[in-house]
Amino acid sequence: MSWIGKIRRVGRIVEPAPPLPAFAPMTTSATSATSATSATEPGSIDAVVPPTGVTGSLQLRHVDCGSCNGCELEITSAFSSVYDAEQFGARIVASPRHADGLITTGVVTHNMHQPLLNTLNAVPEPRLVIAVGDCAINGGAFKQGYGVVGSVADVIPVDVGVPGCPPTPHQIIAALRTVTGR
Amino acid sequence: MVSGGLTAALGAVGVALGLTVVFGGPRQLRIGWLLPLVGVRFDLDPVGGLFMAATGAVSIAVGIYTVGYAQREHLSRFPLIVLPLFVTAMLGVPAAGSVTTFLLAWELMAAASLVLVLSEHRREEVRSAGVFYAVMTQLGFAAILLALVVLSAAGGADSFDTIAANSGGISPGTRNAVFLLTLMGFGSKAGLLPLHAWLPRAHPEAPSPVSALMSAAMVNMGIYGIIRIDLQILGHAGASPHWWGLTLMIFGAVSAVFGVLQASVATDLKRLLAYSTTENMGLVTLALGAATLLSSYGAQDVAALAMTAALLIILSHAAFKTLAFLAAGSVLAATGLRDLDKLGGLARRMPGTTVMFGIAALGASGLPLGAGFVGEWLLLQSLIHSPHEGTTLLMLMMPLSVGAVALTTGLGIATMVKAFGVGFLARPRSAAAQAAREAPASMMAGMSLAAAACMVFAVAPVLLGPLLGRVLAALPTVGGGEAGPVLGTYLRLPGVAGSMSPGLIAGALVVAVLLAVGLTRWGARHRPAATVAPLWACGADSLSSRMQYTATSFAEPLQRVFDNVLQPETDVEVTHFAESQYLVEKVTYRTLQADPVEQRLYTPVIRAVTTWAQYVRRAHPGSVHLYLAYGALGLLIVLVIAR
Repeated sequence: MSWIGKIRRVGRIVEPAPPLPAFAPMTTSATSATSATSATEPGSIDAVVPPTGVTGSLQLRHVDCGSCNGCELEITSAFSSVYDAEQFGARIVASPRHADGLITTGVVTHNMHQPLLNTLNAVPEPRLVIAVGDCAINGGAFKQGYGVVGSVADVIPVDVGVPGCPPTPHQIIAALRTVTGR
Repeated sequence: MVSGGLTAALGAVGVALGLTVVFGGPRQLRIGWLLPLVGVRFDLDPVGGLFMAATGAVSIAVGIYTVGYAQREHLSRFPLIVLPLFVTAMLGVPAAGSVTTFLLAWELMAAASLVLVLSEHRREEVRSAGVFYAVMTQLGFAAILLALVVLSAAGGADSFDTIAANSGGISPGTRNAVFLLTLMGFGSKAGLLPLHAWLPRAHPEAPSPVSALMSAAMVNMGIYGIIRIDLQILGHAGASPHWWGLTLMIFGAVSAVFGVLQASVATDLKRLLAYSTTENMGLVTLALGAATLLSSYGAQDVAALAMTAALLIILSHAAFKTLAFLAAGSVLAATGLRDLDKLGGLARRMPGTTVMFGIAALGASGLPLGAGFVGEWLLLQSLIHSPHEGTTLLMLMMPLSVGAVALTTGLGIATMVKAFGVGFLARPRSAAAQAAREAPASMMAGMSLAAAACMVFAVAPVLLGPLLGRVLAALPTVGGGEAGPVLGTYLRLPGVAGSMSPGLIAGALVVAVLLAVGLTRWGARHRPAATVAPLWACGADSLSSRMQYTATSFAEPLQRVFDNVLQPETDVEVTHFAESQYLVEKVTYRTLQADPVEQRLYTPVIRAVTTWAQYVRRAHPGSVHLYLAYGALGLLIVLVIAR
């Protein structure tokens, strides 16, 4: 039974987390953000309250509303073992019933309009929407497209936006940390 | 109405007579005028009484059920007339006390059941099943006839009692021949591999009350024959050779595993139940073989355990298979469907039938609180506790058998989960299932009786203790005077360290469920009231019944794992759009699950017989003169030989 003692003595060994980001992720994209909670001064940490009221835990369901998949690649990287977003308490889950919020990418196309609303309605309240990438925040490069309804922010209230085309994994993680508080 | 009532009344007589014999002592009845030269002779002993009571009990439930079923399904008059006759013949088989009486009752049973199988003879599948059944049951009868005639000649008498008394003088060669022939004949009736092919054809095509009678009562007669002739009469003189038990065990194990494998991939509800019958009869034969083998090594107490297991599995199988076929019959009557892939959603439309089938499926899966549990537990105990000082044969056979039983039970659970979950839960997969109506009162009453019997086997086998004890004492070599296992509130097994209490397990489970529900309610008392939300359909607007698991998709992993044994024919056809090879218009998936044993073994035989028949046909050119010459020639040969 000495291994139990060893586990207790050694404890957890992880790379120390970098300090909490000192910038607000919505500074460059405040134009179309509808939620009041994300409008904060530059240079301060965004004061988003975790939807469950529990810091350090955020379960997200990802919805691709019509993205070019650039943001998907960056989100995948952010949750990979290199950037490891899970060490800050954020997780991607398979069902909106398990989720605290949505992480959305891309412009909202006609085909994905209703599914996005259905998915949002399937997330229990209180809930939170994170829009990743310029397309999700203000339409970006596809703004005038014929099959496009608008940005995610035009369709549903967005709480946190992550600007960039695409945003880097560091930026995505910084935005997630403003919610998880870790 | 009359037919159903008569069937139930005959069943009640059978139960009463069977129980009187088991507890009161043997009865005899002779009717001299009924058969020329030998007369009809009925000798009822406890073993026959047990089978008679089981057959009678099945008939009571089926008879009551038939009253409503015949009205709802508009059964024609002919099968209704034959039904009581069939029951009478089946009650006569275990009562028969002489070779001629036995053969008479056996053939009557076979002929009556054939008529009943053919009651919907306008459909092509029914006629094909009827031909299959007729040929196989008559071949089986020929084997039994040959065996019993040889036995009767060697034993020097017609009555079973005298043959048993004289059985010491029968030469080993004759004994072995009789054993092999009866194993073939009775095995084909019990649906053992490789003579099972009629069973998954005839049982689904017969009307459901008949399926229940055939599957729960008639196949038992095959087992009864093996017990009566091979274990009781031939075993009267002393222990049987080792290879008898070994042969029984191998046939039983192979039948059990193959039967349950076919059942697990079947999508026809009644075909699934028919293969499950092969599985259960395989388990019974395995138990009989284990009893014979252990007894031939002198391990009487463990052999008695295996024998009890065999009897219990027979009885519990009769109960839950009756219930399952009757429930399947009321589904068939309500929807016209047997295909599980088109059923579903019956739990809301036919709640009573659903509960009944649930009880039957629980029994068939061999889980605690199910009817089949105690029998399979006893069988496993007897296989595990074979004596240490046994030979290599025992050391080899017993662990292999434990493996076969475990595999059978595991796959049986998957099969029954499929039958119940896909057939009765979720949403209806067709308009017919959508429009299902609950079965009428008399059908429900018949099913309730069988369900009550299932509950007795599951919770209170204590009630069967005295019955089985007396039957065991009547089996000379296997039960052999030793005390059998005690079926009290606690099952105690003398000679081995095993005990169990099904009643207490049931009680503990009920208490645990109540406790869990109560604690959850108590823990949730301060939570806000639940809200109603639309179902999550992966973002789509609504769920359709085509998104559900089907019986085929549920069994697909099993079909893939056991690909070499089952050899399914699957066919995937992809149609592309005319405009582009990259766009798929539709994908068609077809799968055909044929019986590989049937294809490998039966097809060549049937082809050979057909070829030979073509040659024989040349002797029948249609000339009356030639036929007269044949007759004269035949007479001449007989006269020369019998000179």
